[in-house]
Amino acid sequence: MLSTLQAQIKGVVQGADSLQTKPLKNVKITLLRAETTVYSNEDGTFEILLGKQSPDTLLFVAKGYRSDRLVVTRSDRFAALNVVLVSGQLVQDIVVAGAKNAHGISKMKTLHVEELTSAEFRKAACCNLSESFETNATVDVSMSDAVSGAKKIQLLGLDAAYTQLQFENIPFLRGLESTHGMSVIPGTWLESIQITKGTGSVVNGYESMAGLLNFEFKKPKDLPRMGLNVYQNRFGRSELNLQGGQRLSERWHMGLFASGAAIYGQQDHNQDGFRDQALSNTINLLQRFSYQGPKMEAQFGLQAYTDDKTGGQLTFSKQTPEGYGMTLNSQHLSVFSKTGFFGKKPAQSLGIITQLKAQDVNGFYGLRNFQGKERRLYINAIYDDIIGNSDHKIKAGASFLALRILQYAGQPSGAAQLGLTRTEIVPGVFAEYTYSGNRLSAVVGARYDQHNLAGGQFSPRAHLKYALSPQLDLRLTAGRAWRMPNFVVDNLSLLASSKTWIANQTLQPEISWNIGASLVQGFSFKKRKGTISIDAYHTRFTQQLVADRDSIFDMVIFKNLADHSVATVIQTEFAYEVLRGFDVRLAYKFQDVRALYNGQLQNQVLLPRQRYFANLAYQTRNKHWQYDLTYSRYSAVRLPHHGHSIPWALLNAQLTRNFKQLECYLGGENLLNFTQHAPIIDASNPFGSSFDATQIWAPIMGWNAYFGLRYTFK
Amino acid sequence: MKNIILLFLLSLSATFYAQKASVISIQSNAQCGDCQERIETALNQSKGVIYAELNMETKVVEIKYNRKKTDVATLKKVLNAIGYDADDQKADATAQKALPLCCQPGGH
Repeated sequence: MLSTLQAQIKGVVQGADSLQTKPLKNVKITLLRAETTVYSNEDGTFEILLGKQSPDTLLFVAKGYRSDRLVVTRSDRFAALNVVLVSGQLVQDIVVAGAKNAHGISKMKTLHVEELTSAEFRKAACCNLSESFETNATVDVSMSDAVSGAKKIQLLGLDAAYTQLQFENIPFLRGLESTHGMSVIPGTWLESIQITKGTGSVVNGYESMAGLLNFEFKKPKDLPRMGLNVYQNRFGRSELNLQGGQRLSERWHMGLFASGAAIYGQQDHNQDGFRDQALSNTINLLQRFSYQGPKMEAQFGLQAYTDDKTGGQLTFSKQTPEGYGMTLNSQHLSVFSKTGFFGKKPAQSLGIITQLKAQDVNGFYGLRNFQGKERRLYINAIYDDIIGNSDHKIKAGASFLALRILQYAGQPSGAAQLGLTRTEIVPGVFAEYTYSGNRLSAVVGARYDQHNLAGGQFSPRAHLKYALSPQLDLRLTAGRAWRMPNFVVDNLSLLASSKTWIANQTLQPEISWNIGASLVQGFSFKKRKGTISIDAYHTRFTQQLVADRDSIFDMVIFKNLADHSVATVIQTEFAYEVLRGFDVRLAYKFQDVRALYNGQLQNQVLLPRQRYFANLAYQTRNKHWQYDLTYSRYSAVRLPHHGHSIPWALLNAQLTRNFKQLECYLGGENLLNFTQHAPIIDASNPFGSSFDATQIWAPIMGWNAYFGLRYTFK
Repeated sequence: MKNIILLFLLSLSATFYAQKASVISIQSNAQCGDCQERIETALNQSKGVIYAELNMETKVVEIKYNRKKTDVATLKKVLNAIGYDADDQKADATAQKALPLCCQPGGH
């Protein structure tokens, strides 16, 4: 029986400091008359059964925050209580514990937000960011060319460029980093990822066309004295990731992250003369500080990395450049700060985010070289307040972006470069109103940005959540978003072919409308919880820059396409703890992504229309062992000019053994050993006119085995 | 590949053996989720424990253990040693002081 429980009160506890409002874990929540106590989960959510006495009083207590009381009655069972605790004058530790629910759709948020926590990342080796989505059905990970091995992610059937990526609400992996940046960040640095489908909050900017991914890194206060992660796989890839936190004083904390990764294994399993994986050396450092004072809070950080890749034919190396080679060298430096000031009233605050970034990229694919240079300054100021009571919240602010981006790429002949140098100056203003009612909550916002090239752009957005029953939530979303395309960087992998690029139109901004709806039904069966969800999103571009690979065989034509590009994605998911400690998650996704190619509204190339997904996870009762199995089946994809691929499946498994301070894991990827036959077209003639390494839809390498360690010194 | 499967099966079998097993409930003074992790980890990693689970509402730890390898007194000492009371047996004072703020008695 799917049982709908009696008067169950649900909600989310958040802690407000001057920087942000974020979910609080382990808040002690007591019903005073019924004398029952629960603790809030990792994502701040809680559930508590109302006793016979009604009304009753809920008491919220958390270290470092002022306690709060709330009177509740039976009619509140539909409510998504949103309790905001205000940071106390005395700064004390808010203690953080391990994740309980590794994965889930937040019940409380008005927006459809899927949360992945560090417990989810442990299900797979999770070397870097792009790989941290391997146990997830919402985000697809695929390889974009067979020479560099670049992995790209897709949300709602659209490339990552259409999804706004953030590092703790600071723009992240934008511009030149959008192709290769994800592979540079190790997954072990992460605390959680929030996936928002549909246009996100206007506070975060104008670019969330398909969705928004926010990456929360481990905070200086929560870091162990030292955490160490070592990884090794059978194809000759090694990683060493370190992180550590230190208390400098009562108010200052420091966190240091370091990572070194190398791929040194020369692999050519399909014997086409090309390396199946590019050799690489990556060093990445991140240092961050946090300050917590009575009147203000601040975070500062500095990130620097260098990434060096060498791919192509086995004969090619940097010392002996013989045959077809590929190199990529990327240098990145960024600094960020987040400062927040408390207002006179408890809910009042002002937060300011600033970021400076410099990046240089250069390299070549065969005779086609490329360069990129990016200098970015970003400022966002957000004012938070309530109108009357905390049911009505308002955020308003202004942002400023100054960007200089240079991007050039060569043609197959090695001659004439294509590209552009662009300076963007974008001041913007935004306002957002949030209503949190009993059964209904809504977020309505708009922003206006004045772009020096794209002109004035208005982006209204609305999100609505309605509790149809205590366990069933309906969410609706609609909004407009836009971005300036970077045709060279966004399509860097298309250089791995002999196709001439044609880009003779003036670049227009890409503009889209996205509408979506989702239904999430929670249930409890045999005292174990589960959810069933279905969601559908439709993105309609009023303007898009498309790469047409269909019209002319030996060309890629970049063109502005008005009103002829749509993406519809329907996903349904079932999650339930079938037996004690045994979680099952099943999902199905249908993606219909079309644009006008060669005069016809055609499916997007290399994008599977259907995906089946299953994740089985079992943890023994003593938590010594953990087993994970992830299966994905992809339907055939359309190939440019010559029909379709075949359907294929991917099976990954991992076994983890937990000791007191040590975790050991052993895993296998692509255990069905499926590889794409002859992934590189005309590999024997890389400088000929039909060479093409960009038609990749399945793995190039067969089954992989890896092992690793995670050691925590507290 | 074969070795991986063998290891997998071996690890499964280890969780099911349980001869001479007893189940005991010990009242602890856990405060928060962090305490839960500390208590469960310490006990689960102790000799002779088949599983240990803390109920956060009642603060009672349920422990299934092998009578041949350990006893109730030893298990209580494990709890005391990491800073928690076990029934009427008081926690080690030094260990308790070293706990994070939320885990201190009255921490919430």
